[in-house]
Amino acid sequence: MAQSTAALQFSGHLGLRHRLVLAIVSGKPLRVDKIRPHDQNPGLRDYEVSLLRLLERITNGTVIEISVTGTAVLVKPGIIAGGSVTHDCPLSRSIGYFLEPVIMLAPFSKKPLQLTLRGITSDDRDLSADLTRTVTLPYLQLFGVSDGLELRIKKRGCAPLGGGEVQFLCPIVKQLKTLHFVERGKIKRIRGISHAVRVNPQFSNRMIEAARSVLNRYIPDIYLYSDVYKGEDSGKSPGYGLSLLAETTTGALHSAEAISQPGVAPEDIALQASRALLSEVRHGGCVDRAHQMLVLLMMVLGSEDVGRCRMGEPTERTIQFLRDVQTCFGTTFKIVPADPMDRSSTELMFSCYGIGYVNANRTLA
Amino acid sequence: MASMRRRVLAQHSLDISNHFRKAFAPKSGRRADRQGRRKVEQDQTRLHVPLVDRTPEDQPPPVVVAIVGPAGVGKTTLLKSLVRRHTKQTLNHVQGPVTVVSGKKKRITFIECNNDLNSMIDIAKVADLVLLMIDGSYGFEMETFEFLNILQAHGFPKVIGVLTHLDLIKKAATLRTTKKALKKRFWAEIYQGAKLFYLSGVLNGRYPDTEILNLSRFISVMKFRPLVFRNSHPYLLADRFEDLTPREEIRASRGKCDRTVTVYGYLHGTNLRMGTRVHIPGVGDLDVQSITTLGDPCPLPDADSEKRRKLSEKKKLLVHAPMSDIGGVIYDKDAVYINVPGNFTRGNPDAVEGEGERMVMDLQDVADTLDGAVSKSHIKLFHSSSKPLTAEVATAAGHSSDYDQSDDESSLAGSQSDEDLSDEIETGDESSDAKEDNQSDSAEVDDHSVADRGRSSLRRVHRTIVDPPFHQLEDQDVQFAESDSDVEDVDDSNADAAPIRFDDVEISNEEPGVHAVFAELPQANRRKNWSKVIYSTSISPRDILSGTAAPPTTPKNLDDEEFFTQVSTAPIVTEGDFDMSKEFVNVDDLREWEDEAMLDSVRGLFITGTSLEGEFKEQAGASQDGDVDIVDGDDRSDVNSAVDEAAHQATTLAAKKAALKRKFDEQYDDPESLKLDFYEDAKGEMARQLELNRAEFKDDDPESRVLIEGHRAGSYVRIELAAVPCEMVEYFDPSYPLIVGGLLPSEERFGYLQVRIKRHRWYTRTLKTNDPLIFSMGWRRFQTVPIYSLDDHSIRMRMLKYTPEHMHCYATFYGPVALPNTGFCAFNSLLSDTAGFRISATGVVLDIDRSTKIVKKLKLTGVPFKIFKNTAFVKDMFSSALEVAKFEGANIRTVSGIRGQVKKALTKPEGSFRATFEDKVLMSDIIFLRAWYAIEPRKFYNPVTSLLLSQKEWSGMRLTGQIRRDEGVKTPSNLNSTYRAVERPTRRFNTLKVPKKLQAALPYASKPKLVKQQHRRTYLQKRAVVMEPEEKKAIALLQQIRALRKDQVARRKEKQEVRRAAHRQKIQKEETKKSEKDKEKRKEYMRAAGMKSRRESELEDGNSRHQKRRKF
Repeated sequence: MAQSTAALQFSGHLGLRHRLVLAIVSGKPLRVDKIRPHDQNPGLRDYEVSLLRLLERITNGTVIEISVTGTAVLVKPGIIAGGSVTHDCPLSRSIGYFLEPVIMLAPFSKKPLQLTLRGITSDDRDLSADLTRTVTLPYLQLFGVSDGLELRIKKRGCAPLGGGEVQFLCPIVKQLKTLHFVERGKIKRIRGISHAVRVNPQFSNRMIEAARSVLNRYIPDIYLYSDVYKGEDSGKSPGYGLSLLAETTTGALHSAEAISQPGVAPEDIALQASRALLSEVRHGGCVDRAHQMLVLLMMVLGSEDVGRCRMGEPTERTIQFLRDVQTCFGTTFKIVPADPMDRSSTELMFSCYGIGYVNANRTLA
Repeated sequence: MASMRRRVLAQHSLDISNHFRKAFAPKSGRRADRQGRRKVEQDQTRLHVPLVDRTPEDQPPPVVVAIVGPAGVGKTTLLKSLVRRHTKQTLNHVQGPVTVVSGKKKRITFIECNNDLNSMIDIAKVADLVLLMIDGSYGFEMETFEFLNILQAHGFPKVIGVLTHLDLIKKAATLRTTKKALKKRFWAEIYQGAKLFYLSGVLNGRYPDTEILNLSRFISVMKFRPLVFRNSHPYLLADRFEDLTPREEIRASRGKCDRTVTVYGYLHGTNLRMGTRVHIPGVGDLDVQSITTLGDPCPLPDADSEKRRKLSEKKKLLVHAPMSDIGGVIYDKDAVYINVPGNFTRGNPDAVEGEGERMVMDLQDVADTLDGAVSKSHIKLFHSSSKPLTAEVATAAGHSSDYDQSDDESSLAGSQSDEDLSDEIETGDESSDAKEDNQSDSAEVDDHSVADRGRSSLRRVHRTIVDPPFHQLEDQDVQFAESDSDVEDVDDSNADAAPIRFDDVEISNEEPGVHAVFAELPQANRRKNWSKVIYSTSISPRDILSGTAAPPTTPKNLDDEEFFTQVSTAPIVTEGDFDMSKEFVNVDDLREWEDEAMLDSVRGLFITGTSLEGEFKEQAGASQDGDVDIVDGDDRSDVNSAVDEAAHQATTLAAKKAALKRKFDEQYDDPESLKLDFYEDAKGEMARQLELNRAEFKDDDPESRVLIEGHRAGSYVRIELAAVPCEMVEYFDPSYPLIVGGLLPSEERFGYLQVRIKRHRWYTRTLKTNDPLIFSMGWRRFQTVPIYSLDDHSIRMRMLKYTPEHMHCYATFYGPVALPNTGFCAFNSLLSDTAGFRISATGVVLDIDRSTKIVKKLKLTGVPFKIFKNTAFVKDMFSSALEVAKFEGANIRTVSGIRGQVKKALTKPEGSFRATFEDKVLMSDIIFLRAWYAIEPRKFYNPVTSLLLSQKEWSGMRLTGQIRRDEGVKTPSNLNSTYRAVERPTRRFNTLKVPKKLQAALPYASKPKLVKQQHRRTYLQKRAVVMEPEEKKAIALLQQIRALRKDQVARRKEKQEVRRAAHRQKIQKEETKKSEKDKEKRKEYMRAAGMKSRRESELEDGNSRHQKRRKF
């Protein structure tokens, strides 16, 4: 009677990462079925299996059962242990794919996490290591996870062969701070990192030039760093990219990036990145679209107080995430227009009552 | 500016002290120094760690006041007296919690705790204030101390001591000394100066009114500091308990089926959310099926009585005690008993009719069925409605049109207005949905259903579902409705067949005109109700988003088709299928930024674009106004918009003013005076957050509020629990407290807990590893098997066989997770017939893990069978070569201290190996290998299910010895384990012989210097001594003096012995006298005790369970 905790039941391969995070944080068993049942290659992909392995390694006592066909998986989560872990990511996804769920879990581990990930540092599907460092980590700092929070990019690695390496260091917290992020402010500075590995270092300067051609009209405070890795540290494949972030007066961050594609000039990549940044800025809110989930999760896990955050319209993933949070924690967000007077604005105010999540894994004395 | 007044005041006080400087000056510098230091010290002692108090201020839950004490001390009498004091009602038979109103903002739940240890543990976890009753004529009993220690482990709520039976002490002097002694002991146990009340005697079955008045005043002004555990868990002290299981099911299973029960009570602690699992101590973890907030059965005085200074007399009469016999009605677990005093004849005009009698008579008087009553009834939905509600559906729909109209209008108006936005947007969305598929049949539930008082719950009626994809309600709501219908509404069971509705149901039937208006609205101006779209529909996220971004989707897409089955129809791999973190960037979409105007449109979002921003805003505002004009040219909406405009201007003006004020304050206020210390800062921060918590959802409707923040503390709720063991219902006893404690998500899990534990100094035995122990931790009481350990030089956790004396150690056991820093106490037995102090240990949780790292020492021994120089072949340590391989390189040692290493296995005797040492070992040496063997605690968890027993005396797993004793089995003895005399033959060592040749070659320092003993007498022994005459004389004299001295000492000793004998005799005599006196005293005491016990037995009617266990 005492041990029958209701399992979380989901189907489909989408949102696997945040479902795993929710299951591990709440300690409820997770069962996902119908994972690509009609696909030519049914079941879990190699990167998903690799993610499961990674989560198994940073936790203690996790049991993962994958069905024979791979279309269903059962995860009985253990406690988040942390410590020093090294993981080789498959080349089908970049490091960002693995880093995202780990960042959500790491503050609640038993020991501070020192995770080394090897693989592709930036691709066009997941957040690159640069943006994780410059945008994701500052968002985490809003919740009181700050001392010793660090992401070191040891080596860069571009697709297809990778060869990059990042080190993620995360402290542990007892309880998250309640977020009140209602003022969006105005953009006061734009920063960017353009990186180029195993190509002409001039590429990175060309990208910077092109990005400035779009962004210089708005604000003078623009610094775009050219980050060139050489030799061993530059990975195994050539590539380049530009990641941009705009910071407002209240500390809200909006980010965008573009990665080199074959047959596209660096100038076009830079234009793509800077225009994506402008779209992101126009989308509004204090949190950019890629980080909505992280911020909302941390709000749910806050102390039993009301937390508020202004955001743009939720993305597909965010909507699914909100529903999954409701099934997992029973927490519902109050979502109202941020400025009811202004009909043109699509910004929303998300407010919720934290569940008072306390890091039970933390050791006392 | 904010501090202006304060500054003026400060200035004023400064003036005073300046003016009368001499009057305030200290006389001496030293004293001034001392005074100053003392003041600072006092200030520091006043500070406490700031804790958030989560009790709501407007409707706080009643304060739980527990009355605890040993049997026969007068608990029930005190409870009756207190209830009478508050409500002017006399209870005959008190059971379970009794809630009364004690002040304008305060209610009290009194509960009596029986003498069972399980009850005491549970009560200690929920009581805010404990009235600890002590029999003054008897003194402290063991239970009192046990209870205090339990309290200490669970956060220590406030305690007031109450001394009773003081009238039995006749002599004034004895009374005084008794009081003094008891007070001293009480203070030692709680704190110096703890409040102790004296209740003298019993008058009319109650304590004297003045004394009770004083006590109740003391209780009602008491302030409570929040306790950490209760501040993070929702909980409820159940004051009512019902079994909802269908009778038929019970009958079919002969009463053995799992039950569905409801418990009722005031919520305490944090908000209780849906989906929270609960633990009922004594029963186990249970799933909550539904939670409903009910009308407050014992409400606080409302606004009109609030104006008066004192509580009105009418409010004073309120008392809520469903398990007792208030008003002649007792609610039992499965029936309602009506107590009729004397005889009762129906229709007798002079018979007094109580609530119960009236209830029965009303039931008897019913002439019509409920259906009939409904059809005849004249229920109006709104007081403005012209026609009453009728049972026909069609007419109901028709008549409600007037309301619909108004609602539609308001929804249009709401598109501009600020107030009640969420409500109105809901309707707007609804209608737009309706437009999209031309199905317009949506019934809205009125959120503000009237809460019934007392027994009945909120009635919820769900809308008729015509269009499944849009109006899919949550399962929860449907369940609520069904369960409610089980309790009260008989007629709801056939609601599907004939949808008769008589609640506040609004059935909106939108006219095509409305659709037209909505069709004209620009897409961007329609706002989604995001909460509703996300949480109460099953529309796929993509469709939700495309609903705004793209033109309206075809109904085909909106079908109830599962999201994930889309793959079969569309084999194209979309970007979403990759589960990307980044939003997919469409290059074509970014083309729009090539447009210069587009680039300029976001200029306002940068700090450099401030001037443009205003323009931008203004433009937006203008276009908004234009939209309003298009939407409807009604006068009303114009007025609305004008009002809005005015309000908007007012708010902007206010904001501007506030900003100016802030600027001014920053410039002119003294920054030093505004700076608060850390303590004030933290407290201010908490207050702000609490204020925000209260304000954020204030305007929301109750239902969505419950969804977002759960059921708030202070509300009276009904919790329906599923799959409850039948024994709980069968053996339900209202005198045992029933507590429902909410569990945090992490507390539902199981794992290994590491705790810091200390054996209680009053517990007489040591605790042994792997002996079962009963823990009370968090809400739970459970038996488990701990392993004790100590940190061995921070290298390893080393197992301890027994707990150390007077020292903390670690214990690790398997059980449900409790958050680190949770206190606990442990027991070996909870039975009431246990002799001595029952709390065996106390401690705190340190760590939670899924594996343990406890080791115990393992010594493997072997003997050499062949010795070379520093190498030896060792056997008898391992049994196979494989084992040896596992230990290659391990450190070994001889008893004499020669260190060595395992090298490699030998083939010949199986398990032997070659080892090297730092020196040559002897054949007689024993060689051992010190290893550490990891042990894991047994996965044994046994919840204390005391409420599932008829006798409530729970005894868990017994120890092996106990089982042997009970079964009469002899302890098996292993011959090898018995002690034998150790025979150690004396070892003979051969003499060391150094060859002559070698000796010669050795340097002198190294040469053996053994010399034979002298056989001949030496010169000193041989020589004769001849003394001089003076010398002889002197020696003789010395001898004489010594002889005299000896004699003197001997004589002195003799005399002393004589004196001592006399003294001994005297002592003996006194001793006998004293013992006789003692005997007399004991006799007297025993006589008094006998009298008391006789009196008790008379009181308890010889109930053998309530005996005094022992005096402390």
